[in-house]
Amino acid sequence: MKTSTLKKSLVAITTAALVSVFAVAIPSSASAATTCVKDKLTVKGKVVSFQKCTGTDDRGSKYEIRMPAKFNGTMMLYSHGIRYPFALPALGLTYNDAPDIAPSTEVGEQLLAQGFALAGAGVEVQGWNLTEQVYATLNVNLAARMQFPAIDKVVAWGQSLGALSTQALAEQYPGIADAVGPLCLAESASAELTGFLDFIWGLKTFFDPTIKGSGYSSGAEGLKELQTDIGKAVAIFTFLSNEFTVNPLTPGWPTTATSATALISAGLPSRSALLMIGLMSGISTQSKSFDSSSGPVGPLETAFGGLLSPVLAVLENGSEAAVLGFIANYDLEVRAGGRFYDNTNTDYVARLGADAEIFTSALSGASKGLAGFGAFLNKLNPGAPRVKADPGALAKHNQLYQLQGKITVPTVTITALADHITPPGATQYLVDQYASSVSNGDSTKGLLVNIWNKPPDEYTTFTGQAPDKRTVAVNGVGHCNFTTSQYMAVAKLLAASAKSGKAPTAKTVSAAIKNDSNLFVDPNYRAPLLKYRQ
Amino acid sequence: MIRNTRMKRISFVSTVVVAGAMLLSTVPANAADPGVTATEIKLGITSPKTGTVALSYGKLPGAMKAYFDYINANGGVNGRKITLVSRDDKYLPQQAATQTRNLVLSDKVFAIVGALGTATHTKAYVAAQLAKNNVPDLFVNTGFSGFDDKTKYPTTFLVLPSYAMEAKIISKLIADTPTLKPMPSFLIAQDDEFGKDGVKGFALAGHKFSDTPILYPAGSLSAAIAEGALAKINAAVPSYAKPVMVLMGTTDSTALILKAAEKLSLTSKFTWIAGSVGGDANTLLALGVKAATIDGIYAASFFPDAKDTTDQYVSQFMKINEKYNKGVTFDNVVLQAMNSAMLTVQALRAAGKNLTRAGLMKAIEDKGSTFASAGLAPLNYSATSRVGYNGYWFGQLNATGELKPVGGKVTLYTTDSATATAPVLSTYTRKPIPKNGIPTN
Repeated sequence: MKTSTLKKSLVAITTAALVSVFAVAIPSSASAATTCVKDKLTVKGKVVSFQKCTGTDDRGSKYEIRMPAKFNGTMMLYSHGIRYPFALPALGLTYNDAPDIAPSTEVGEQLLAQGFALAGAGVEVQGWNLTEQVYATLNVNLAARMQFPAIDKVVAWGQSLGALSTQALAEQYPGIADAVGPLCLAESASAELTGFLDFIWGLKTFFDPTIKGSGYSSGAEGLKELQTDIGKAVAIFTFLSNEFTVNPLTPGWPTTATSATALISAGLPSRSALLMIGLMSGISTQSKSFDSSSGPVGPLETAFGGLLSPVLAVLENGSEAAVLGFIANYDLEVRAGGRFYDNTNTDYVARLGADAEIFTSALSGASKGLAGFGAFLNKLNPGAPRVKADPGALAKHNQLYQLQGKITVPTVTITALADHITPPGATQYLVDQYASSVSNGDSTKGLLVNIWNKPPDEYTTFTGQAPDKRTVAVNGVGHCNFTTSQYMAVAKLLAASAKSGKAPTAKTVSAAIKNDSNLFVDPNYRAPLLKYRQ
Repeated sequence: MIRNTRMKRISFVSTVVVAGAMLLSTVPANAADPGVTATEIKLGITSPKTGTVALSYGKLPGAMKAYFDYINANGGVNGRKITLVSRDDKYLPQQAATQTRNLVLSDKVFAIVGALGTATHTKAYVAAQLAKNNVPDLFVNTGFSGFDDKTKYPTTFLVLPSYAMEAKIISKLIADTPTLKPMPSFLIAQDDEFGKDGVKGFALAGHKFSDTPILYPAGSLSAAIAEGALAKINAAVPSYAKPVMVLMGTTDSTALILKAAEKLSLTSKFTWIAGSVGGDANTLLALGVKAATIDGIYAASFFPDAKDTTDQYVSQFMKINEKYNKGVTFDNVVLQAMNSAMLTVQALRAAGKNLTRAGLMKAIEDKGSTFASAGLAPLNYSATSRVGYNGYWFGQLNATGELKPVGGKVTLYTTDSATATAPVLSTYTRKPIPKNGIPTN
């Protein structure tokens, strides 16, 4: 392969990684007293009049409620996704605690135009604010109902961490919502963070043992350590990007890879090591730019699609997941009072499962690659030291809410198959928990409908032999990357269910998504659980 | 004239080199299974139609469709016409998963037939939930014995003998051939399920190579690596010996190794055993291996030769190909594809008019071993076995690529993938082809 072929696609990973994961939530904008003003906007040429009400609850969470003049009786109660827990000016990260009332401005406006009331809380603290968000959402719901007694039905929905808090709200406070919509659902903290931190541990172990990864100091020193770690990770990603450009089949290792000398001596390429890290931690092998299905026309087509594209996807996805993982872990360590991550007994080779057979070639073979990585990752290898949690911190961390699957009102999920931050296994876990809950008699059968969002069959494009770098992910790929029409389809299904008290039938869902070739409903579809659950 | 082409697995080697480098009984019969109407049975296949591997196996879906078209022109199956939906997987696992899911969810096929490859089908089987959806997965073109795991792959039926079986029969060939038995022997194999299955087979047979097998990851074998391996082996054996060199890899990898031998003037130094996959003479020649090099190479097959017009199956399939697959040269891939299509028609007929997915799989378990087929080895379907053919005969290629049976006549051995039981001489006699190639079972 020519050395220049990948160049276009592999630049600017670092900047994109820092901003893209947290860009899901949109900023919008509240005292114990709710203040309302009249407002209006134009939606598709139609003037929509509404009251915009703002306030701050007794915990300090700002909230907003929008009540259209032509109210249809249903309020959409929205919970936003994860945001930075603090500002990090050095990395260009800012703090935002403003309320969000819908997944996007466009979705909010369309819903308002159709007569739905909208409401959402900003939450008084950010980061992994699951507990705080549940209370903030309870408060904004209460404020809305007090202000507008005409509210008849409530649809609680949210995305990413907001989806988890929405589901937690519904499970802990049955009756608060008439229908529930977890969109791109995040798994519980233990499951999500284990994936991110396994990836980071892999980066550390394979590429730079000086990365701390977890167990940060308190106060300013800890923040400094965090920023240093992110810098080191970015340096690895940048090095690998360049190396994959120059020598894609046998890329070299960074000089910081001081523990992996045996692997380097054995001639294993860094691309296989990165793929191993991605597979063992559950990073998707389909990313914004790389579909693992396409290659440039010509003799390289199959080799690119089979050997290189999955690795490039892990690089693109992993760089974003790692940044989120670093910051979310720091925040959760502060909350837990220490290190909760523990991989002392993780069998990383076993975690590969069928991927060991599927990606044998890209991992540089069974006896050399898989066996070499397996030996390196053995928990007895002093060159790949495992991380042990602080028992007290772990105990406190484990008290964070876990999905129960207790569903008592119609619930509609939408989940992308190639979401690299909240993989489809999170929704699958909800499905499994719900099945158990039904069996236990805690939930009512037939209330959960799952809509799956698949990527296009192929989407990597090439200029000549060089893959193009996408700045915007195609639908089905990326985090909470739904279209407005998809959000609206789910919202309408939820609203109808809130009124009827019944989950939408298969026929109804099929009709709602019939014009969207990227959506499907299959009761038999089963996504792989997050590695933590396997 | 018999050749040894089989559709097992292909690696990415050639492209890299060019670059320079149910439990069915648990699911009740359901008359409303997708893909079946009063007039149609919709089947699906994923295979490489584009990309480098399509050069070898691009004919597969077209040849299957040609046979189905022939059956349709002769009344179909119980009044139903067969439609084959063919999707291109490029021999890539992700694309195989995507397209198999499309076949099940979008095209709503009744069954999958003739899917190709180990890594591709491993991913596709799970991604498309073939087990949970109870989709019959018929006559998969891979020799990976792992698919014969009814618990893991409850809807899958293999057709090719396994790599482990092949290794056991190669071991017997070496042991039974006076010129081979006393010689040092070596193995160069793909470092994946292909090679692992092979290594397992040799171990089961008790065959000990003279050195540790050289395993290479598919996709990274280069001329330099091949030359280095051959040079190392050559240096380790006495000059008077003519070692046995067993190659268990795809045809493109085999070609690379043979060309390395040409460069090092070692072609006549070894007795080459290229097996069933790597011994595809047409492809070896097309990849630039000299005719003189392939002359004498041992290869394996379980079929008659695709050019043997005296063979009733070959003859009939040729006629069908001429009319329904115009412009496509009849070869081993076409033979294999039409044979699998004929097995499919027999399975559909055996399942009866009230066609269900569960009924189809039950029919193969109950009656599949009795189906007429071009294979010279028996089929082994039963309630407990998803194994298709289980045997091979060996021959030697000549300079024009013909595979001549060792000893002048086809001698086929059968065996299994899991035990140390030695291969046995087969007494199997295949059924005559149904009249005009149209099953009436």
